[in-house]
Amino acid sequence: MLWLIALLALLPITAFAHKESDAYLNLRTDAANPNVLHGQFDIALRDLAFVIDIDSNQDSSVTWGEVKAHRDAIERYALGGLTIKGDGLTCETHPTGQRVDAHNDGAYDVIDFDTVCDKEIPNRLAVDYRLFQDVDPYHRGIVTIHAGDRVAGAVLGPKTPTATLDLRAPDRWSQFKSFMVDGIWHIWTGPDHLLFILSLLLPAVLYRKPGIGGRVLGAGKSRHLVAAYGDPAVSLMMAGATLVPARADTGWLPMPKLSRSMIELVKVISGFTVSHSVTLTLSVLGYVNLPSRLVESGIALSIIVAAFNNIYPVVTRRAWLVAFSFGFIHGLGFASALAGLALPPAAMAASLAGFSVGVELGQEAIVLPFLPLAFLLRKTRFYQVGVLRWGSLLIIAVATLWLVQRAFDVVIPGTAFLTPS
Amino acid sequence: MNNKTRRGPAWLARAIAALLLSATAAAASAANQSDPYIPANDSVILEHLPSTSDPRVRQFDALRKQVEASPGNPKLAVALSRAYLDYGRDTGDARYLGRAQAVIAPWTAKRPASDDAMLVLATILQSRHQFAESRQILQAVLRHDSDNTQAWLTLASVALVQGDMDEARRDCAHLLGSSDGLITAGCIGSWSVVNGNAQSTLRVVDALLRQEPDASPALQSWAHGLMADAAKTLGQTDRADAEFRQALQFAPGDNFLLADYADFLLDRGRARDALELTRGYEQSDTSFLRKVLAESALGLPAAAADIKQMASRFRDLEQRGDSRLYGREEARFVLELQHDSARALKLAQDDWTIQHAPEDMRIYLQAALAAGQPAAAQPALDFLKRTRFEDPIVRALAARIASQTPAALKPAGVASMAGASH
Repeated sequence: MLWLIALLALLPITAFAHKESDAYLNLRTDAANPNVLHGQFDIALRDLAFVIDIDSNQDSSVTWGEVKAHRDAIERYALGGLTIKGDGLTCETHPTGQRVDAHNDGAYDVIDFDTVCDKEIPNRLAVDYRLFQDVDPYHRGIVTIHAGDRVAGAVLGPKTPTATLDLRAPDRWSQFKSFMVDGIWHIWTGPDHLLFILSLLLPAVLYRKPGIGGRVLGAGKSRHLVAAYGDPAVSLMMAGATLVPARADTGWLPMPKLSRSMIELVKVISGFTVSHSVTLTLSVLGYVNLPSRLVESGIALSIIVAAFNNIYPVVTRRAWLVAFSFGFIHGLGFASALAGLALPPAAMAASLAGFSVGVELGQEAIVLPFLPLAFLLRKTRFYQVGVLRWGSLLIIAVATLWLVQRAFDVVIPGTAFLTPS
Repeated sequence: MNNKTRRGPAWLARAIAALLLSATAAAASAANQSDPYIPANDSVILEHLPSTSDPRVRQFDALRKQVEASPGNPKLAVALSRAYLDYGRDTGDARYLGRAQAVIAPWTAKRPASDDAMLVLATILQSRHQFAESRQILQAVLRHDSDNTQAWLTLASVALVQGDMDEARRDCAHLLGSSDGLITAGCIGSWSVVNGNAQSTLRVVDALLRQEPDASPALQSWAHGLMADAAKTLGQTDRADAEFRQALQFAPGDNFLLADYADFLLDRGRARDALELTRGYEQSDTSFLRKVLAESALGLPAAAADIKQMASRFRDLEQRGDSRLYGREEARFVLELQHDSARALKLAQDDWTIQHAPEDMRIYLQAALAAGQPAAAQPALDFLKRTRFEDPIVRALAARIASQTPAALKPAGVASMAGASH
């Protein structure tokens, strides 16, 4: 019954003779191939023999021949207890060789393996280590990662099986760049934001004929008219000979100077940027959280409103105000593109700024070539009717489709190609 | 994600630990890895496993098969766990601590847990210096089984290591009249050795051992080991030597006895005997340390390489986060073989926060003296004063410390005690 009496001796009663079970996992990046990590996994033969019958002839000695004969079983067991993830994506691990190594406490089997990750080897590597977890709570996996001249490490075991290790020193500039590219692509692959901006900019090369449609202008009007009298086109118009054929008045007059259109464009884009940056930041930081169905529907609605304004103008002189107001809801839409990225707090600023700048660049890239072209065509009926009116109608049609899809969560057959990614 | 937010501080602690480790990882991994190789041929023997000709190995192998066959049987699991633990303790192979714990894990996690399984768990935790957890478990067992001899014994041994003499005495007292006389005498005798009454331990244990000539080898080995310690404490060198040999006869190669006896030999200038004693037990860190100390004392050329090897073993422990388990040994290694007294003192101080056995006291005093910081050893001096430990070597150290400590710091008792020892 008393099997523990020896405990009481005043010998060094708690000192054990040698350390418990360790395994050593080394991962090395490859300068020539960014998709692969070379691994070396050293596991004590005494530990392996406890879970796999390596000693086939039961003579209490493990030979190289016996270790080789059990290579498959060893690799299955060892690599099966290991998951390596790069930025959240599981990398594939396959053995490449078998050797042995002498450590302080005996001979270890060495499993050489390669870990292939989908994308390039990311900044952060997660290692999930479950080896021997059911047979030895004191087993430790000593993980060392060599990334170039950088070394990171962790000690893993059944109680703390996972570690996330930084492969590279956080590089804020690359983070900024990488998110900037994301921002650009978000604009280019998601036409809804672009359609909204375009709807606001289509009339930027024109201005509303005084007294026709819409609200009569306020303070801006008189200033504008005074300026317009200096323009030859306006003089002609005042003389009753406009360049636009008289057969159907579009209600629009061409903007006299490109610079004026430019100012209009800058105001619209800036208004949009200011407001969407605010909600993008608030949302990514977690202060604002609206259901995405509401946000996406709101974006679709904003496009309809903007395009409708081109046909039945309500706001004619302050398109930037429309851009600014609806920018808030678009910012929430941008945030959904960043959701799930689990940004580390330190990387947050660089990532957000990069993304915003990317969104901006993506817009400019479309809008800047558009403006001179539109300016050249502004006096034509093609532009005033074909592009502005019919284009806006088309935009309304597409946006209405989105609104229905998003608000009621239905898919309308045959419209998939119109759905923003 | 959830885990991250819920366990914020733990995550942070791990991150910091990982950061700290990464600083040493390069050096440590360099030290750790020789170059992997492919053996010359298939018949090269790479490793020796616990021999199946050893009855203890055959016993746990058989038990393991039984447990696998009937995993729902807690008695079998506890028996296997004990077999692993015994084997690990005898051979010093700490791997068996974890194996023992894994076997009883299903039964210690269950509520209500089986007492037998919890007692084994308490012993394992004690071996890993998780004294507080070990105590908690033992006290829980005793709450509904107040006559559990094993629990009282283990509790007493935890209290002794931690230097809680009053509790150790109370725990031993619970054994009176309820169990074997020799075991009760051993419990009280262990307490007496560190409390200024080694003489009575020697007398009583000797008398009881004569009355029980058929006691098990484990019990006999333990009793002789205890008498060896008592004789050593009393300065009876020949008697101690004889008792050590007796004890080893009943438990050949016992890891703890080897280390204790080797220390005894080293203290008495018998380095060559110590070297002979530890030969063949180099795999054990505790035996290996004594071997290196002996080599160094004898000025053998092998010492240099073995010191490096010992340092590498301590690095292994540090790397896995277990260096605190060997603080006493490491402090001694650093002091006597690496001659870094400042670091040795730091290690000894850390060790003292965990345990208060005589060896811990001794290395603490030695390191403080060597580092020229006698005042740093005040906690050990205070403890020595409370316990009246008689060991001449420890008392000589304490006297030297007392003579170097500014009067203001000197506790009243030390001067007189130190004086009495001369």
